[in-house]
Amino acid sequence: MKILVCAKFVPDTDHLIIKESEGGKAVIGDLSEYRMNRFDEFAVEEAVRIKEQSGGVIVDVLTVGPEPSKDVLRRAMGMGADNGIHLAVRGEQYLSPMVVAAGIADYAREKDYNLILTGAMSEDMMNGQVGPMVASFSGLPCATQVILLRLSSGRRNDQSEENPDASSDWVAVYVEREIEGGNREMLEIDLPAVIAVQTGINEPRYPSLSNLLRANKQEIETIALGGDNSVLKAPEDLVSTIVPPKMRAGRHVEGSAAEKAEQLLLILHDKALIK
Amino acid sequence: MVNKTHTAVIAAHADGRVLSETWDLVAFALQLNGGRPENIEILVLGDNIDRLAEEIAGKSGIDVRAIFCTGLTGYSSEVYLSVLARELEKQADLAYVCAPHNSQGMDYAPALAARFGAACISGVNGIFLEEGTFFFQKDIYGGKIKANMVSHTATTVLTIQSGVFKLDPERQASPGGVVRTDARFAIDRTRFLGVRKGGGDCAGIAEARVVVAAGRGIGELENMEIIHRLAELFPKSAVAGTRIVCDQGWLPYNRQVGVTGMTVAPDLYVACGISGASQHVMGMRGAGFVVAINTDRQAAMFNEADICIVEDITTFIPLLLEIYQQQYNDNAVPQAPGNDTSGG
Repeated sequence: MKILVCAKFVPDTDHLIIKESEGGKAVIGDLSEYRMNRFDEFAVEEAVRIKEQSGGVIVDVLTVGPEPSKDVLRRAMGMGADNGIHLAVRGEQYLSPMVVAAGIADYAREKDYNLILTGAMSEDMMNGQVGPMVASFSGLPCATQVILLRLSSGRRNDQSEENPDASSDWVAVYVEREIEGGNREMLEIDLPAVIAVQTGINEPRYPSLSNLLRANKQEIETIALGGDNSVLKAPEDLVSTIVPPKMRAGRHVEGSAAEKAEQLLLILHDKALIK
Repeated sequence: MVNKTHTAVIAAHADGRVLSETWDLVAFALQLNGGRPENIEILVLGDNIDRLAEEIAGKSGIDVRAIFCTGLTGYSSEVYLSVLARELEKQADLAYVCAPHNSQGMDYAPALAARFGAACISGVNGIFLEEGTFFFQKDIYGGKIKANMVSHTATTVLTIQSGVFKLDPERQASPGGVVRTDARFAIDRTRFLGVRKGGGDCAGIAEARVVVAAGRGIGELENMEIIHRLAELFPKSAVAGTRIVCDQGWLPYNRQVGVTGMTVAPDLYVACGISGASQHVMGMRGAGFVVAINTDRQAAMFNEADICIVEDITTFIPLLLEIYQQQYNDNAVPQAPGNDTSGG
């Protein structure tokens, strides 16, 4: 059983400094703090759990991005992934999900992955496109917003004899995907498949020191995104960014903490929201 | 680029009802087409969709193609993908495909775009025209920034954030026509096993006059206590949280506000340490008055607030409670040391 996890290196949104230039354009300040996309941590964790629960599972983790993106592979290997693959791009240009997905599908071709996992979306671009697009390019079934995942054996017609290796016996995956109103859709999907997992599917672990030491020594496979025939042009572009308009009054209460608290209580009292 | 003119809207329905996202998509498609319905067609997929198709054509005033998929009871990515790809391929002048940014559209739209080699823009919540080019706006970086996106391909697939584009309730339109067609399909690799019902019990949050909501800024479970204590300040209040807070197990999922949780509209919403990503904000936009407390002056939540306070909730709320005790405590608000049961 081989699992491919796709993980992205993203700027930490909490520490993102934005300046507003003339005309309302947003200028993003120093992007010094990067981390593994939180949504992808759940995908890595899910793969590592499958590996721990059964023998004969190999977990590859792949990222697409500029050189520093490799950090995300080290972290995933620190969490227990076996190998890291870096599809390298130069510079900081806009990376279209379509180009990223085509690159991943290209890499995965003929590598016989049984399961490809991604997070629900990235924290920076918030698209959630790469998973379904990889599935489309690879001709695989796909489910998104998956909150529960169980590998199931049996049911495939061409499998007649019992296989002693548990992991190679898996032919399908049972998933529950979140839909509106707090409900869940229950599906059984044949492997190989692409599954985009939702946050809360598990509790991602911290990397272990011994794994991190191993990861630091281990070679990371680096390939240029799209290889030699990088003909796929981004079908869309991010032209500019703006600071979002305020939807409400947005009055900032200033002063010391105590002064702010007093003012807030006064406002709530005037509005008859507190006695 | 060839100037294509046709807009296809993919209706969203579940349990035999038209989902409100469908009307939002109609409003968006009309805006995209300068208010004219001629070049728009709404596609409805499913079994037994006669009544849905008539309802959509009647209310929207736009032509509907009812695609009967016998045996398709609910949503299926496999069926939607294969049937939509086949139906839309017939449309030589297809410029835009508008899908809902919900559990259905987010599931099939990117794959459909990949199949067509079409640009895909997800979570569109704004649109403007400049020198003949449409710019589509979407949230990035947790809603701290909006991006202006353009498409370079002849066909573009868009998923539209719900609750942004609204169909004018006063709009008078003569009903659109309904064309019926049958689609053959095979479900090969995905077996639908049913829907597990959740929700139902919403811990009184929907009825609360005041909702005090916690976000990641809470930091740790121990700090939930101050959120409960703050809520006790208000009559008819309830404690809620963002998805992350529920994922952490700091609150049960029936207290989650947002796209995958509940939608609330209390008189007062107090957002404590909430970054303000659109997935959360969509669930509380209807609130009467919003107070946001966050250490990050640039948190997107402040764009959704009437009153903004840049402070650390873990120190600010205890201080607020203390000052309240001193200045307003005529009716003796009881302190609740450790016997807080409102956590559900």
